[in-house]
Amino acid sequence: MAELEVLLQVLFWGLYAGCIYILLATGLNIIFGVMKVVNFAHGEFLMVGAYITATVFFLSGINPYAIIFLSMLALIGIGAVVERLCFRPILGTSKLNEIFLSIGLIYIFTNSAAIIWGDEWQSIKSPYAGITIPIGSLTVPFDYIIIMVVTAAILCALYLFLKKTKTGREMRATSQNRKGAMLVGINVERIDIISFGIGCALAAAAGTLWVVSGQVFNPYMGSIPAVKAFAIIILGGLGSIPGAIVGGLLYGIAENGAAYYVGGIWKDAVSFIILIIVLVIRPTGLFGESGD
Amino acid sequence: MKLTANFTILFLVIVLIAALFAGCAQQAQTPAQPKEIKIGAIVSMTGPNSNIGKSMWQSAFLAADEINANGGIFVKQYNTKIPIALVQGDDESNQKGGQNAATKLITEDKVDILVGGYSSGVTSAYQQTVAEYKVPYIVTGASSPIITHRTDIDTSTVFHHCPTTDAYGKYTTNFIDQVIRPAVNKKFSFPADRPFRLALLYQDTAFGQGVQAAVNETITKNNLNIQLVSQQKFKMSESDFRTPLTVIKAANPDALYVAAAPNEGAQIVPQARRDVGLTTIFLAVENNDAPEYYKGIGQYGEYSIIESRFSPYTAPTGLVTDAQNAFKNNYFTKWGMYPDMMGASTYEGTYIAAKAIENAGTLNKADIRQALVDLRMPQLIEYMKDGTISFSKDFRESQFNHWMEQLYYNSTIGETRPKIVWPDNLKGTDFALPAWYKPGSA
Amino acid sequence: MAMDLNLKRDTLVRYGTLAVIGIAVVAPFLSGNLYIINVITLMLIFIIFASAWNLLAYSGQGSLGHAAFFGIGAYASTLIAAKSGISPYVTIFLGAAVAAFIGILIGLTCVRLKEWFLAMVTFGFAIIVQTITVSLLTPITGGWDGIASPRLLSPDIYGYQLIEYYSILAITIACIVFIYYVIRSRVGLAFSAIRENELEARAAGIDPVKYRLLAFALSAYLAGVAGALEIHHIGYITPEIFGVDLSFWPVTYVILGGLGTLAGPIVGTVVLTIIWDGLKLFGLTFGRYIIVGVLLILVIIFLPKGLVDIPTTIQKRWKQDTKGKNQYDLKD
Repeated sequence: MAELEVLLQVLFWGLYAGCIYILLATGLNIIFGVMKVVNFAHGEFLMVGAYITATVFFLSGINPYAIIFLSMLALIGIGAVVERLCFRPILGTSKLNEIFLSIGLIYIFTNSAAIIWGDEWQSIKSPYAGITIPIGSLTVPFDYIIIMVVTAAILCALYLFLKKTKTGREMRATSQNRKGAMLVGINVERIDIISFGIGCALAAAAGTLWVVSGQVFNPYMGSIPAVKAFAIIILGGLGSIPGAIVGGLLYGIAENGAAYYVGGIWKDAVSFIILIIVLVIRPTGLFGESGD
Repeated sequence: MKLTANFTILFLVIVLIAALFAGCAQQAQTPAQPKEIKIGAIVSMTGPNSNIGKSMWQSAFLAADEINANGGIFVKQYNTKIPIALVQGDDESNQKGGQNAATKLITEDKVDILVGGYSSGVTSAYQQTVAEYKVPYIVTGASSPIITHRTDIDTSTVFHHCPTTDAYGKYTTNFIDQVIRPAVNKKFSFPADRPFRLALLYQDTAFGQGVQAAVNETITKNNLNIQLVSQQKFKMSESDFRTPLTVIKAANPDALYVAAAPNEGAQIVPQARRDVGLTTIFLAVENNDAPEYYKGIGQYGEYSIIESRFSPYTAPTGLVTDAQNAFKNNYFTKWGMYPDMMGASTYEGTYIAAKAIENAGTLNKADIRQALVDLRMPQLIEYMKDGTISFSKDFRESQFNHWMEQLYYNSTIGETRPKIVWPDNLKGTDFALPAWYKPGSA
Repeated sequence: MAMDLNLKRDTLVRYGTLAVIGIAVVAPFLSGNLYIINVITLMLIFIIFASAWNLLAYSGQGSLGHAAFFGIGAYASTLIAAKSGISPYVTIFLGAAVAAFIGILIGLTCVRLKEWFLAMVTFGFAIIVQTITVSLLTPITGGWDGIASPRLLSPDIYGYQLIEYYSILAITIACIVFIYYVIRSRVGLAFSAIRENELEARAAGIDPVKYRLLAFALSAYLAGVAGALEIHHIGYITPEIFGVDLSFWPVTYVILGGLGTLAGPIVGTVVLTIIWDGLKLFGLTFGRYIIVGVLLILVIIFLPKGLVDIPTTIQKRWKQDTKGKNQYDLKD
């Protein structure tokens, strides 16, 4: 009985951790889906989003959840610049080139952040930090409920955007067939910028939620979550948003399960062990088609 | 064809370096009487440890500044005061960087003495260079005893001015046995021979494992009535501790000893109390006594314990109080922030280096080393055993006096502030169990 | 015309190579500075490491976790040398064999993967190896504390740094020559065929799986040699050797110098070492990384073949200018 209760809790922490991964992975998937670009520096956008949230919060003191819009907006801008200056010139050269370019971006973003904001660990406190809500046998902090709701809301909004708006339809068209999209008169370069921006905005949202939940952050925080997000989209299938969601949740749970059964040190390793096993069995990922 | 072009380039590049070398070769010439005394500070200015490295560098800088304001160090051999030149060696938080930095300081800058050193892994990487040139080195940041205990190389010039994991694990375990255990037994009318249920959550690195080993050893060696009901570990820089905390809660501990870095500890306490509902006494290792920790734990840190030797927010009343406050204020005036304990020991380390050179009366390295062996100088800003800084004969470790702090919530600042509760000669108040405290059960 | 140029260049190559080796040989005497010798020693080791990474990339496989092989070679050599008492000069080649063996195993899981899946798997592999080193293998690796590693030479030997430097220089040259012959051999031809077009390579009777595994083994072996050399030079090893930083450096060196060329890793490592340690003299800390990052991106965008391509680029410009704009050099 007690064992079951512990397991239930571990499962819940996994769900919560999964939210951050889902947002990151979905953003990556949009970028990959439309541009076929592999951006390993995606975690740096999470980090920048976290710092923007914290800075605005320190300066203005407004509700940090409201800052999510601001940090998303800022990252759309930063993302557009990065896309235009760095990724567009090498589009279509080689997948490896994109990875190498990302390494340069990681150096630049991490160390610029260290210069601008300092390299100390920082944290902020949510206005709801003290509130907890009992759910069954669990006592859950109110913040985590909000975070799950916000994640769900962002994903719904994204879904509606992709299905109902003209730009959203153009994005889907480009991701399905870039040449075809060009032929029917879609400005794919515009779509590239928008997709990259939206992908970055999702990372920024993840950064805001990271900060609001009281987790500490520093300039080096982004790399590991980003690589895990990659593992997730490989698992969940390239370009598949439902796959990213399922993969993100599975990862959150698997990691916490690993911490529970074999010890915390295995938390990162287990993500990659799963990845390697899956790829050995299915080189294209669990739900993936051929990718590109 | 492409290959050929490549080699042309290669050739040009190498010629360039050769020119560089030639330029460098011209410099080295040492005058008979040195214009300055060179103290090398090996610190992590870049990489993951850079925030601690910065604090260490700024503290050493402050100390050197103060000494130079008084004209420098008096060296008998030259019968004059010679100013200090502090030379920075950035170890980049990694072994290769450490090796390069140490070699440069030792062979090119030809420093007379070294201070600093943070990560034990990085420090180990250049220790052989230190040993080879027999440079006196005052290690002020690495907490693993291995620094002076390793036997594969000569460590006789290395002096450790920083408490080791052995020291704090032992100290905290004794506090639990002598203060918390009786308090719990008394409050809940338990029989005096009831085993105290202690849980341990530690970083899975040399640092955390060192604390874990020290706790286990102290319990067995002194036959303490403490039972370790759960020992969980986590990966360095982890931010989600809920799962190990859930496991610990299921083990029903009387108290939880956390061996973590401040950024981790600051999250463990809120996650334990708020998310997992662990209503117990938390004990933290000394490096958590830093502003970021107080900020992170917020009100959840109420009644928790920190083992300490240098705190941003309190100082035991006595001989060093003024000196300690002066250091904090001067540091704040100069750098606009407060120093941490690695800064405090590096500040002292610089003074120790100066004192050793003065005592030696010469810049001969063997004499400086001997002066460090014989050193007995009054404590500076931290409480030392017997009020004296001196290095033990066996492993050349200085002996710090620690104390235990309990944190009380201050609603005006919205954070907790420490009060010293142990040992008796330093304490300002008694250890108290909060009303919400629940003891564990088998 | 083209023939002439080639001939001229061939002599250039010969003289160039000789000059390079000559300078490397006399460098210690020119400088007489142990710090510089130490920097060059580490630089030589990283030339091997970067060349090893480059060899794998030459077969079309980009690894983001080469620190794994660097570290495995280092740990294996350290353990063999410490337990048996054999000279590290021998054990570096034994330790590297262990790295090569593991390289084949990881290569087996990778051969069917797309290029960037492979990058992910290798990245993760370095993390897995690190985790195993500090958990399951703690009894022999010393966990996070690390263990002392036997030195290449005892510091009691007079002038041991110079002997060490020359021996490492000799090993570096041997590695480069080895790679040169591999690339020029049928094996190298197969590597580039697979890289350029796997289907055509298959049609030409090349077994991609076999050659990919071979590339993995060779690359892991050389990376292992580099790792073992570094650790025996430093004298201590900790699991930080598997860090992301060490996986990214060879990539940075090679991309900057020129991917898939013999001289690329050498030029990249030399140039970056000069920049890196030069900027340090100016007291730059985080700024150094930013400069390297910007440089890397600029090279990727504007000099896709790396710094070694500068003469060709200049030559092309010059040719265009003299021949007039309406003539194109079809040969390139």
